[in-house]
Amino acid sequence: MNKKNLRKKTLIAYAASAPALILIASIVVFPIIYTLYISLTNMNTYHWFNYEIIGLKNYQRALTVFDSGFFSALLTTILWTVVNIVIQLIIAFVVANLLNSPLLKHQKRLYETILMFPWAMPGYVSILLWKTGMFNTQFGLLNNWVQKLGLEPQRWLSSDISAFLCCTVVNLWLALPFMIMIMDGGLKSIDKCLYESATIDGAGKLKQAMVVTIPCLKPIIGPSVVITIFTTFKTFDVIYLMVLQTGAQTGAHIQTIITYAYENAFITNNYGYSSAISIIIFIMLIAFSVVTSRRKNDDA
Amino acid sequence: MMTRKRIRIITSKILLNLFFVISCAMALLPILYALSISFTKDASLLSKDFSFVPKHFTLDNYKAVFTEEPVPLWFWNSIFLAFMTICLSLSTAVPAAYIFSRWKFPGRKGILKALLLLYSFPSILSMFAIYKMMSSLHLINTRIGIIIIYAGTMSVFALWNMKGYFDTIPVEIEEAAKIDGCSDYIIVLKIVTPLARPSLIVTATMVLNFVWNEYIFSINFLTGSKNETLASGLYSLQATEMSGSWPVFAAAAILVSLPVLVIFFFSQKYMTSGLTSGGVKG
Repeated sequence: MNKKNLRKKTLIAYAASAPALILIASIVVFPIIYTLYISLTNMNTYHWFNYEIIGLKNYQRALTVFDSGFFSALLTTILWTVVNIVIQLIIAFVVANLLNSPLLKHQKRLYETILMFPWAMPGYVSILLWKTGMFNTQFGLLNNWVQKLGLEPQRWLSSDISAFLCCTVVNLWLALPFMIMIMDGGLKSIDKCLYESATIDGAGKLKQAMVVTIPCLKPIIGPSVVITIFTTFKTFDVIYLMVLQTGAQTGAHIQTIITYAYENAFITNNYGYSSAISIIIFIMLIAFSVVTSRRKNDDA
Repeated sequence: MMTRKRIRIITSKILLNLFFVISCAMALLPILYALSISFTKDASLLSKDFSFVPKHFTLDNYKAVFTEEPVPLWFWNSIFLAFMTICLSLSTAVPAAYIFSRWKFPGRKGILKALLLLYSFPSILSMFAIYKMMSSLHLINTRIGIIIIYAGTMSVFALWNMKGYFDTIPVEIEEAAKIDGCSDYIIVLKIVTPLARPSLIVTATMVLNFVWNEYIFSINFLTGSKNETLASGLYSLQATEMSGSWPVFAAAAILVSLPVLVIFFFSQKYMTSGLTSGGVKG
């Protein structure tokens, strides 16, 4: 009887969730499997229908041919992630601490609201505004200021290093509000008694931050930081819209792995190779999430 | 002694406020710049005497947005796509989320774990496969095709988000209703759905935001000016990067962002509201 009941319940459960599961299976799961299949073929513009299975050659090209572009994209992505996360954490920590200063009273809410604006704006609009409004060579605000100082107007996005730094500025601008909010929430939840006892023990402000604030903050902001690392690693919009737009490249050659996969699929039409890159990235993401979720279980 | 301490407090207060005024100015800089450009008459912005308060105030750029550019059409297209996507993804994800939250059945844990893994997969990586699949189904350049793609992509998020919220609604409320003689159907419709309203609103807002801001799928899957959305239209507007079109682009960008800003600051209230906490006393 009980077994029969369970079977009936299972049937109803699957029937009720079938529409969602079918939708996800056909739009998310099937394309991944299909990408895996394409990655084993030589599909490109010339072989749109009459492609052949060529085994692991695409993977070989990505992973063993050194100047295939994949490695430099991977290195750029890692550097990009590290630089962005480190700066983000430092600035957000400072700003959140200052926001919680007892010297700020009624202005605090105003500052908080204004600082949330970059998060509230649609991301692609902000990026395009930065690109055309700030960094544009002819009528951008930055060059406007540079000329006021009597200097030559700069081509901000034309060389790799300068474009990387400009993209970092934009990404920080986009991502900081969320991080500040998370840190702010974390700081508020720390027990004030800890600071009192630290003061009694004779700890200065800096010592307090090291001994009380940072250790208490770690578990609270941990999950959000992990999510942010993932998002930063998967950056596409900032790099693509700033420097790589089809037909409007600015001259810099910086690629993250995602823009690299996109470019190979939709610009140079190496579908098989691009799919192999996608699968490699997917495997890396799975490995990441397994590692991070295991770490989380250890902590608990 | 006393005055010296007071002076120190006052200086640190001033420094603190100065810091935040500068931070806020930086947070608003591109937005304010675009705002003032959108009201500026003279398009020759090369002039070195730019100021944040426009010297020659005009609404011409906003007029141009509505007359010279097909922005109303883009608005309509975006609203249509967003509305249909919200309907499709929520109507499929909410029942599934409820079942996954309340019932234990074989396969439940595995599916939830798989969904979490899929959530970390950026859909742009399988975009070509989706393209090839859609083109063999003749769904390229159709609205129904892009709605299915958007809804499928967001379903994973909607399912997890709603499931998490259903988990926080105490089962006791439903059990009490059952004892009072309510059927399962009535319980879901009259008790669970109203309790889950904040989460429904938040989830719908996230889906709306996604569709509103999505450009890479729509520029590749919906070609032709008839189908352009706000995001893809704005993208093509800035692609013709000339100093003349920049004020119009700025005006359009401000107009596109306004509803998003309103929704963001409005839904923030719901994001923090703990409606369920009042449901069970004890």
